Amino acid sequence: MNVLLVIVFAITLIYLSMTERFPIYAGLIAFQGVLLFALSFLELHAITLSTLIFVAIETLVFKVIVVPFLLFRIIDKIGEARVHDKALPGFYSLLFVTVGLLLSIVISFSLDTKPATMIYFIVAFFAVYTGMFMIISHKKIFSHLVGFLVIENSVLLLSLAIGSEMPMLINIGILLDIFVSVLILGIFVMKLKQYANELTLLKDD
Amino acid sequence: MSESGYILAGFFLVSLLMGVVVGLVHSKLLARSITILYVVIHISFTGYCWLHLGETVLDYFTFDPLGVLLLTILSILTITTVYHGFIYVKDAKPRIYAIYHAALIALVASMSGAYLANGMTTVWIFVEATTLSVAALIYHDRTPLALEATWKYVFVCSIGISLAYLGILFLGFTVHDARLLHLSFDSVTEIAKMANPLYLKIAFVFVLVGYSTKMGLFPMHTVTVDAHTVAPPPISAFISTTLMNVGFLAIFRIYALFSATSILPFMNHVLILSGVLSLLVSAGYMLKAKHNKRMLAYSSLENMGIVAIAIGIGGIGYYAAILHIVLHSFTKAGLFYQIGQSYKVMGTYKLDESGNYMALYPAGATALLLGFLCITAIPPSGMFISELYLMKAMIHSQNYLLLAVTGLLLCFVLYALLTRVLHIVYSQPREKPLHELQKVNPWQSISQYFLFGLVIFICFVQPMPFRHLIESIINALPK
Repeated sequence: MNVLLVIVFAITLIYLSMTERFPIYAGLIAFQGVLLFALSFLELHAITLSTLIFVAIETLVFKVIVVPFLLFRIIDKIGEARVHDKALPGFYSLLFVTVGLLLSIVISFSLDTKPATMIYFIVAFFAVYTGMFMIISHKKIFSHLVGFLVIENSVLLLSLAIGSEMPMLINIGILLDIFVSVLILGIFVMKLKQYANELTLLKDD
Repeated sequence: MSESGYILAGFFLVSLLMGVVVGLVHSKLLARSITILYVVIHISFTGYCWLHLGETVLDYFTFDPLGVLLLTILSILTITTVYHGFIYVKDAKPRIYAIYHAALIALVASMSGAYLANGMTTVWIFVEATTLSVAALIYHDRTPLALEATWKYVFVCSIGISLAYLGILFLGFTVHDARLLHLSFDSVTEIAKMANPLYLKIAFVFVLVGYSTKMGLFPMHTVTVDAHTVAPPPISAFISTTLMNVGFLAIFRIYALFSATSILPFMNHVLILSGVLSLLVSAGYMLKAKHNKRMLAYSSLENMGIVAIAIGIGGIGYYAAILHIVLHSFTKAGLFYQIGQSYKVMGTYKLDESGNYMALYPAGATALLLGFLCITAIPPSGMFISELYLMKAMIHSQNYLLLAVTGLLLCFVLYALLTRVLHIVYSQPREKPLHELQKVNPWQSISQYFLFGLVIFICFVQPMPFRHLIESIINALPK
């Protein structure tokens, strides 16, 4: 079951890298949140009440409800629903992410780890690659944000692979990270819209 | 809980309370009084840490030599930064004034926590806290430029911190249990010796790239450069010194942790590569810099590159790296305060509009020249000693090509700084500045003279306690 969920997570990453419409981005981020909650629930064997509350807040509340809600609000505000016209076409994006997936598989196999953990490694590396790819290949701030959220999800995915019990400090860390992402989404993007959807003011000359 | 535990917990509690009170009560007098009181508390806390050097507190914190040394630099620079901050924001509205000082208190407290943290996860949490608090300070002027710089800083730092977190999680794989991640650095060192080297290499690369956003190293240097350009000069001084030291500390801790393992040569190569690329980028951009604060920001990149190379070389290079970090902090802070004053006097940060500074404000121009001598490591600058040690380490390890490349790039940096500083001080402006020129009281430059004086003093005398402290920091590293 866990392996299936992780594979579905990987498919969402491929879809994210190819799609060009912002509402689909937001929907996929919410779906990844659902997958992460299901994975957390299945993976954490010795689950305590406090851990359950943390995991529920991190995944269901933030990743499934708050973050997608803010993403949809931003889409409404900026009044644009597509990536930049000159963005990399979907076919080339698919080629790039395929290379990323192959690289993730090669690195994960060379790590010589347990087969059960291997799949988490592959998909977590792939998620970092996809997030970075989205930030580098897209021009608009919205796509950058989605890339950042994908990297955040890879952190949670990898933390699930470590062990059956997450220490409170790691929980606090992830929660703080989510807080920053909500801050970025909620405050800065709304304000940035007043000036530009692309960042071009600061230059070296 | 021990006495030190109460003191530490009290310090963080007081920081939180003072920050909240200053932020909520929009009174300039109150903000000013509380900030001064906070500076006194911070100095007293640093003094307490010195008296209890080496003590581990509440498991998650330690008063180790490196942490306490950086905390001392922070205490000294907090005095000068608060002083220049009072001047910079004196005309701000009470609300903006309050937010500035509340964020400053939060930044100082979170940097102190990062210095004293005794575990990777604890360091990470405080580093994340520094990003949040400094964002409010970069956005102080509330212009489109400030918003863009703040956005970039928070966004890229958050990505960097996420990557660093992935590195910490990999460390969790090496110890086979995430619960061990909050253990002290010492405990993890022992476990790391038995770990799979490939895991350690991946963890190190992630942590290096991640915390480079804070240290301002290549390839994540761009955000700090943009942040410097728009942040108030006293805050630029903080970002370029004490906040970069946070990034340095996080990377150095991991380096020290893994230095007893087989990946030491790998870490050294990565650090040297990152350092040389930082030098290359800074030299290139400084040669075309047309903005005085951006020029200083690239100079910080150059100096962090020097520090990375020094650690990568090892041997006496370790000593050079720590000494360079200390001296760069004082020099760069002084230069940023001075450039802040030059904006008032000349009405611009643009190089083409700058000039005639010596005639307009002799005390400031002399300080700028003194700062230039210090930052370019020309004797009697103390940075001459640290760079000399670095060269010595390169010769000792027979890295002649690296010596030649570093020397050449430093010549470019020297040329870029020399032509620009001399233009600001002596030449007539090429273009007329847009803003109104203001007078600055010469006494306001006293802090710069004090900081540059400290750097020059180190060129002639390195007090024994200071030497011993640096030696105790690098003692555990391979000889």
